[in-house]
Amino acid sequence: MKLIGFRIQNFRSIIDTGCTYLSPDNITGLIGQNESGKTSILEAINSFFTGTISEDILRSDLSLPCVHCVFEIIKVDVEKELNEKRLPDGVIDEIKKKETIILKRSWGEDITSRIELAGDKVFEIYRGFYDKREKEEKNIKERIEEAISEHDNAIRKSDKAVSEKEEKHHELEAAKEKLTQLQKKYKSRKNGKNENTIKDNITGAKKHLEECRNIYVAAGKNAEILASEARQLSENANLAGESIQAEKNFLINKKELEESYKELQKCQRIFDMSYDEKERRASRTQLDSSNETYVRVLRDYEQSKEDAIQKKIIAFKVLSGDSIYEVKNEIKKEKPYIDKYYSLEEAGRKLFNYVPEFIFFEDFLSLLPDRIDLHDIHTENTNIEGYKAAKNFLLVSGLNEDFFQQTNNRILKHKIEKLNKEITINFQDYWRQSIGKHNKIKINFELEHYDNSNPDKSGLPYIEFWIKDREERLYPKQRSRGVRWFLSFYLELQAAALSKNGSNIVILIDEPGVSLHARAQEDVLKVFDNIKERVQIIYTTHSPHLIDLNKLYRLLAVQRAVDEDESSETKVFDTKSLTTASTDTLSPIYSLMGIRLSEQKFIQKKNNIILEDIATFYYMKALTDMKGFEKQVFYLPATGVSNIRSLVNMLLGWGIDFLVLTGTNKEGNDLKHDLTKHLFANNEAEANKKLIQFDHFKSIEDMFSTIDFKKYILHKRIGIPESNLEYIVNNNLSRSILASNFMREVKDSKLKWGNLDEETRDNFSHLFDELSRSLE
Amino acid sequence: MPQDNKLYQELLKQRDEISRQKKEIIESLEYACLIQTALLPQSSSIHKTLHDSFIFYLPKDIVSGDFYWIYERKESVLFAAVDCTGHGVPGALMSILGITSLNEIVNNLDSIKANRILNQLREKIMKSLHQTGQGGESKDGMDISLCIFNRKTKELQYSGANNSLYYIRRDILHEIKPDKMPIGVSGIEEKSFRNNVVKMKKGDVLYIFTDGFPDQFGGPKEKKFKYKPFKNLLLEIHNKNMKEQREILLSTFHAWKRDFEQVDDILIIGVRIN
Repeated sequence: MKLIGFRIQNFRSIIDTGCTYLSPDNITGLIGQNESGKTSILEAINSFFTGTISEDILRSDLSLPCVHCVFEIIKVDVEKELNEKRLPDGVIDEIKKKETIILKRSWGEDITSRIELAGDKVFEIYRGFYDKREKEEKNIKERIEEAISEHDNAIRKSDKAVSEKEEKHHELEAAKEKLTQLQKKYKSRKNGKNENTIKDNITGAKKHLEECRNIYVAAGKNAEILASEARQLSENANLAGESIQAEKNFLINKKELEESYKELQKCQRIFDMSYDEKERRASRTQLDSSNETYVRVLRDYEQSKEDAIQKKIIAFKVLSGDSIYEVKNEIKKEKPYIDKYYSLEEAGRKLFNYVPEFIFFEDFLSLLPDRIDLHDIHTENTNIEGYKAAKNFLLVSGLNEDFFQQTNNRILKHKIEKLNKEITINFQDYWRQSIGKHNKIKINFELEHYDNSNPDKSGLPYIEFWIKDREERLYPKQRSRGVRWFLSFYLELQAAALSKNGSNIVILIDEPGVSLHARAQEDVLKVFDNIKERVQIIYTTHSPHLIDLNKLYRLLAVQRAVDEDESSETKVFDTKSLTTASTDTLSPIYSLMGIRLSEQKFIQKKNNIILEDIATFYYMKALTDMKGFEKQVFYLPATGVSNIRSLVNMLLGWGIDFLVLTGTNKEGNDLKHDLTKHLFANNEAEANKKLIQFDHFKSIEDMFSTIDFKKYILHKRIGIPESNLEYIVNNNLSRSILASNFMREVKDSKLKWGNLDEETRDNFSHLFDELSRSLE
Repeated sequence: MPQDNKLYQELLKQRDEISRQKKEIIESLEYACLIQTALLPQSSSIHKTLHDSFIFYLPKDIVSGDFYWIYERKESVLFAAVDCTGHGVPGALMSILGITSLNEIVNNLDSIKANRILNQLREKIMKSLHQTGQGGESKDGMDISLCIFNRKTKELQYSGANNSLYYIRRDILHEIKPDKMPIGVSGIEEKSFRNNVVKMKKGDVLYIFTDGFPDQFGGPKEKKFKYKPFKNLLLEIHNKNMKEQREILLSTFHAWKRDFEQVDDILIIGVRIN
């Protein structure tokens, strides 16, 4: 996959860069003043890859950092790679349609990070998917709670029926007692007194008793029915209850896991930051112990998660009418506790395996030191100066710990000598290919041991590096900064190629030109151009020598929102919006133009033509040469039509004569109208001599016939019914790159005026005729 | 035999089904023909635009892969005889693409040049058929003779893709050869069509046509009519009025074809300059 853009949020001085795209030709330069935030951008991109940040990255407003990287999918079949689980419908289609994926790394308050698949559309699909799932979960939860509540109600009803039955029993007993009393009274009556009344009472009591008995029997039956109902519901309620309990256990385990993970991260940080061996040993024990705890808690968590999902599904299905036996069998077969869908995080982690290797190249760690202790290498003491360069050196030489265990001094010396030769030849070859020059320097390393002058380290081994030429043998730091930089950069490239096994590499370089003289800085650019097919480069600079004036599309301008206020946020401007960047930010470009101005007679007293952009500049320059235009002209590219006004003012201020050439479009027409009014006091005849437009063409590309456009600019056979400019815009092509390539072909003499077809020649001849009339 | 009777019944059933299907297909094609005819210029507008002219249009099937196209713009008349790959339904589908594309191009054109119209038409066809010049894709397209006649200046622009233009002046037939490439993708990379300009004179008669007439088999030796006899025929008849010319072409064609099947669609346009 190829990195094509980024978006950084809440990272040091950066609040939100917005989605920023890198140069399509693999070399992107970040220009801007000191403290503008250039290095923060490199660090943020690097942190996307490593996942680590330090606490000083966090902003004081407590907003948490987040870095999105956009990758073009190359040589990766995303559908195939994500085949273990499923993605919600529409995600793969979206990825295939855009041919890009966006991955997001975000950090929490404890500076731990997570990587996930991102992008507005993907996020929207996932949100729909989770909403649906949440509804299903809610439904299940409601059904489970309903089962418990149904059971509780049934119990309550059953209990009430039992009480009622008891009550009726008491009433029955009371009726019995009353009848017994009346019967006794009847037996003990005297002289037949009240006989009839008692008899009537006994008849009434018997009737009442019968009624009570019937009520009691009915109450008994009702109690039995309700008790039976409650019994039936209790089975469902048990399943529901088990599910709820399992869910509670899962939540407890989840919380424990989170705490345990935080502890583990903390121990890892302490270990990573330990300065010496003693600290490292102490923190190692703590790290091991917290790791063990984490593994145990993770096991419990996984178990409880499985249990909770199983029980929930069993409860829901049984409550929906399935047989428990069948449901359990089904679960055994299908394992529902394994989520069949990738979460954004899982998909992100999986795809992260295919992103290029990001390498941060910076002077302190990456420049080859004079010497380094073997012990520091073996214990990976990354805080030592030149550690990375020395490590790269050993990797490129194929040296590991065993090599230095060789006890036979003669064999060891022999091997070292052989390696020194190999690495020297390879480096000289690289230098010749990349910079196009020969050099005779030799790279040497030697294994030495400290003597008594270093009592602390006496007898311990260290590696010493030398850079030799015919005359002298010097330590790397004694050599020119350029040689040291190129050598270290070479080692970094070789080491990355070895460790990444041929896949893409993104090298982030902070100020590669710092302290190199101008020519060496230009050589750095040559190296970049030489490796750009296999390595993407993003570098920061404020040196004009690290900018190619013909390739301004490679630049992103970085500056503070408020000039000279280092507490204001960092803003990034892409090529299209370079004009909105401040003069200070663009000073390397201006310096470069200034240098070229004096060296190449870029601008003259007369016959200067202001063009609307760099693409028009390339085409006009190329076609002027092809046509053999008889007049000497000096083209000045503006960075957009809106910027022409300031160039006009500048030239007016210097008393320099000029013409303005624009397309026949709204911006060009507005500019012409504006300049006619303000510069030529509405004298259209005068204005028409100075303000020339491409006849009826919106842009210079439209002046080429479609056939020539396809053949010499696009190099493609395809039907193009729309205008050439529309094709470029619709297909998201870079006008500047197409124009720059066209100019190169013309310079290489591959293309002549006669090769162009009659339509193109007519259009440009007409334009040159018009220019010729207006020029002196 | 009862079994034979069953088979016979089945055969009758199949015959009826085939007849029904045939009827449906013919009805459908006849309707398609109506649509195609509606897209072609009406005879009244042809005579209004090209006052002294004829169009001999004889499709091989109900619908045709050949079509004629006429457009008037200020003092200029644009007209074309077009032969799309194939005949019948596939040809007709291509012809609709051709007619709509030509109309769209001339509506948006700034300057009128015959070769630029053909260049643009080729872009549209390539885009519509997703042609990129790589192997394994459709090579469909069309052959065309396109003329732009300026009534004021009497200047005629002609640009051709595989089809020529004949004009007869003082009993001599002049041929302007076309570019040997189609409207559509071909084996060679696209290059611009040539724009031929001829100053026409009063009495000149010009003809543009597709290959249907010269390629028709028939005659005593059962061979193609061919281009030389076709030129001779035009030379013989060019002085007659346009209606008569059309009738002679039709009768000559039938006399030549006799019982042979018509090979391809036929289209000949003749215009006399007045």
